[in-house]
Amino acid sequence: MTEEPYRWLEAVANRREYVRDQLRGGTPVLAASLPDGILLVGAGPGQAKVFELFDRQALAGLGHPADLERLRQAAIDAAHTEAFTRAPEDVSLRRLVGYGLSPLLKANFEQIFTAPFLVELLLAEVGAEPAADVLVRLHFDGGFRAQPGGVMVAASLPEPEAAAQAWLQGVLAGVTERAAAAEWLLQAWWVLGANRPFGEGLPAEAERRAGWRAALAPGGERGVELGWLARRGPRAARYTAPTRAELGL
Amino acid sequence: MNASPPMAGDFLSLLAAQKLAPFGAPAANAPAQTQATTVFAFHFAAGVLMAGDRRATAGNQIVTDKVDKVLEIDATSLLAIAGVPAMAFEMARVLSTSFEYYRRSQLQPLSLPAKVRAIARLLRDNLPLTMQGVGVVAPLFAALDHSVQPARPALFFYDPLGAQFQSAGYVASGSGSGSIRSILSFQERYGRPKPSQMSLPEAVRLALRLLIVASEFDSATGGVNPATGGFATLRVLGPDGVGTVTEEQQAAWLAEG
Repeated sequence: MTEEPYRWLEAVANRREYVRDQLRGGTPVLAASLPDGILLVGAGPGQAKVFELFDRQALAGLGHPADLERLRQAAIDAAHTEAFTRAPEDVSLRRLVGYGLSPLLKANFEQIFTAPFLVELLLAEVGAEPAADVLVRLHFDGGFRAQPGGVMVAASLPEPEAAAQAWLQGVLAGVTERAAAAEWLLQAWWVLGANRPFGEGLPAEAERRAGWRAALAPGGERGVELGWLARRGPRAARYTAPTRAELGL
Repeated sequence: MNASPPMAGDFLSLLAAQKLAPFGAPAANAPAQTQATTVFAFHFAAGVLMAGDRRATAGNQIVTDKVDKVLEIDATSLLAIAGVPAMAFEMARVLSTSFEYYRRSQLQPLSLPAKVRAIARLLRDNLPLTMQGVGVVAPLFAALDHSVQPARPALFFYDPLGAQFQSAGYVASGSGSGSIRSILSFQERYGRPKPSQMSLPEAVRLALRLLIVASEFDSATGGVNPATGGFATLRVLGPDGVGTVTEEQQAAWLAEG
């Protein structure tokens, strides 16, 4: 009996390793806060990576489609119930993640006899001003990190994710147009997917530009998925999914 | 967080699963209800114009002259409410949340027939209050029909029991609707231009004049009074979706006539 806690710890560690291994082939998703809103970018066969959650909230993720779908649905259910029973203004990312998705993921991850969620998530909430934007990085074990605006990346491995985020913070400084931001985000997407470094040995810009365009060529298996949370607009719902052509990519 | 609706994308099922159903049993002794209205809609050249007066009454009392009875349900749907506001506004809130919930959860918009039936379903759920005469609602609905290209606005009206009817030209509901229907029928038959041929300024002018006439025959209909800044709620549904006619536009276009 005395060794049971150690078995549990070992089981959790094995589980973590298993989830990371399963996520290894997942393609990253990225988000950037801009003066006019928040841009989310992913690559998939359709509506598979970037989703609208509520009026000002969106989700992007990688992992098993069924798990992504369950969590997306749980977040949408919670947001709409909250909006209906209280008010749309009461729906906030902080509460959706902190009191909804994060405990759900943590409880699932620590129940070692159930299948774990194979997901890595990135959530965004557009505010009245760029300083009020919220980006949240939510992990498969329920751990999360929130930041006001800026850039955020969700990838299957932590080190390349951090490197991509640091690189993007530099190159996106001063970028205001969403088309230009999308170009940088897609370059980072390609570098991550090609398993190339962001420091020394970073492919030249021409190679990066050509790289993501070749990987996501129109008519191919995967296409560019874009989500846009507009800071201002005539309607409460601020999310749109611009096409590649609309952004001139 | 874990309660998932038994029917995918159905917001009312989600509410029921969480014991949050919006329409409960009626009280035995219901208080005096605020009601009476004139709302109407008609096709003009660029879409549908939906209009409503802004008065709410309870018996012979004017409760307020600042009610918005023409509501945007989603980017391509408008609802005009006539009847008891307590029930009508709740229905509008349920519809708005339901349509958006379906669109976001199922990754596709609700079809026009499903939207039309969703309103009928709410009216049927409200049947006990309707039969008691304390919760009557008779709404009008306009939404884009995407089954034709380009998408075209369609107009519907309902009886309080939930029967739904599509109208080719115009619809009206509420205590002042009788005179509105008569004038619109006359205009559509003999008018030059007919309402369906009018530009937006012409259609707005007609709508405001219709409300002025309706208020002369129905004390429960708030009219239009440019001198005191009393205008109507006017919304437009065109191929690109929903828009609002501001009070400044109403004042300018009414004065042009």
